[in-house]
Amino acid sequence: MSPAVTQDMSLFHLIGSASLLVQLVMLLLLLASFLSWWYIFRKLFVIREAIRQSDEFENVFWKGTDLNALFQSAAGSRHTAGSMERIFEAGFREFMKHKRQPGTDITTVMDSTRRAMRATYQREMDNLESHLSFLATVGSVSPYVGLFGTVWGIMNSFRGLSNVTQATIAHVAPGIAEALIATAMGLFAAIPAVIAYNRYSSRIDRLATRFESFMEELSNVLQRQASG
Amino acid sequence: MALRKPSEIEPGAMRAGLLAVLVHVIFFAFMVFGLNWKTYPTEPVMVDLWSSLPPAVQPAIKAAPPLPEPKPVQPPPEAAPLPPRIETPPPPPKPDIALKEKIEKPNPVEKKPVEKKELVKKEQEQKERKEKERKEKEQKEQELKEQKARVAAEVAQLQREQQEANAKAQAKAAQAVAQSRLANEMAEYKAKILAKIRRNIVMPPDLPGNPVVEFDVTLLPGGDILDVRLRASSGFAAFDSAVERGIFLSKPLPLPPDPALFPKFRNLSVKVHYHE
Repeated sequence: MSPAVTQDMSLFHLIGSASLLVQLVMLLLLLASFLSWWYIFRKLFVIREAIRQSDEFENVFWKGTDLNALFQSAAGSRHTAGSMERIFEAGFREFMKHKRQPGTDITTVMDSTRRAMRATYQREMDNLESHLSFLATVGSVSPYVGLFGTVWGIMNSFRGLSNVTQATIAHVAPGIAEALIATAMGLFAAIPAVIAYNRYSSRIDRLATRFESFMEELSNVLQRQASG
Repeated sequence: MALRKPSEIEPGAMRAGLLAVLVHVIFFAFMVFGLNWKTYPTEPVMVDLWSSLPPAVQPAIKAAPPLPEPKPVQPPPEAAPLPPRIETPPPPPKPDIALKEKIEKPNPVEKKPVEKKELVKKEQEQKERKEKERKEKEQKEQELKEQKARVAAEVAQLQREQQEANAKAQAKAAQAVAQSRLANEMAEYKAKILAKIRRNIVMPPDLPGNPVVEFDVTLLPGGDILDVRLRASSGFAAFDSAVERGIFLSKPLPLPPDPALFPKFRNLSVKVHYHE
């Protein structure tokens, strides 16, 4: 990224002079950090978009728009639709199928409608929650991986010290500094991952409760339509 | 009913990837530039300590600069004579070689006389006879001289012994005088100490007889009291404690000014009679 800035303690010199295992640990941590940041940004966009779409759809839905027109637009924009729109589409589609066959019991109609909505809800939640477990894993494991690299590096630097009759801090300092880079990287990977995991899981939980309450409300609306 | 393919990556993925790279670039830039990894060892500073400023030297230095200017013109002629000067140094090694030759030469000189000796043996034998006769005469003379010397030495020894004996006697006398002086001084100061202690004792009234109490007192140089121990009680606790209090009250105890005497006062035995 940049040339070595220093004479004796440049970051790249330190990383380059680290033992192979420490270098591997650093590489692993860099990879984990990169992937976790990637997922952090992806999830950020996805969840933000999901919340925005849900807000939009709820707005349109509660304005009293005709359900048939809403269903048509939802079925038309299938690939760009939000989670809530999809749940609505699945439920309404199931409801309309039953409605076309007259003489069906209202409770069975509502049951199957609810099942269809639940299935879509599960799928959407799975989609929203995907990769969150990766963030949790990085958040909980990477400090230990970094610590492992550090301990290994410090062990090596102290082992080298045993050959010296007069030990000064100057003999150990570079080894410890180089080993501590591993801990720094582990923490750098872990802290954002943990924060993102907590934040996103709470946001997804709130979205889930919104979806569930919407499902209940929609089934009420549909039941009224069927009986009315 | 699969409305969205699971393998399909959402549109923000690329943007997220770029942002993730950006975050790491920022982090590493901070690690490299934000932290000062450089360690500059502080250069040692040479300091000359002057007891006083030399004011006379400075004008001399200021006056000097004009002189060097003409010199740069001269170097060409000087450069030519220099090479011969450089050639002259070699001589120093030569002396070493010369020394070695000198050491080696004696050997042939020693070998040649051995050959010559065979030729000159007869002459030498004659010389040896004459020398023996001479030596016998000399020996007799020497014996006489030695006898005389012995007598003289014995006399000298006796004189020396007498002188030594006198010196020893004088030294002994001097020592005796010094010792008696020391003894006097010690007695004097012991009396002073006792007197001072007695002055500070508040005697308990009406004790029967003349009880005696004895204390061991450990002193510090300067007369301070380190420790007081009861060695022999008088039988009257009031008297004992009065004396102990008196000893502590009378510090610093008077000590001879000569510090060499202090060891004899270090452990003092103080004996106090009820009636003086």
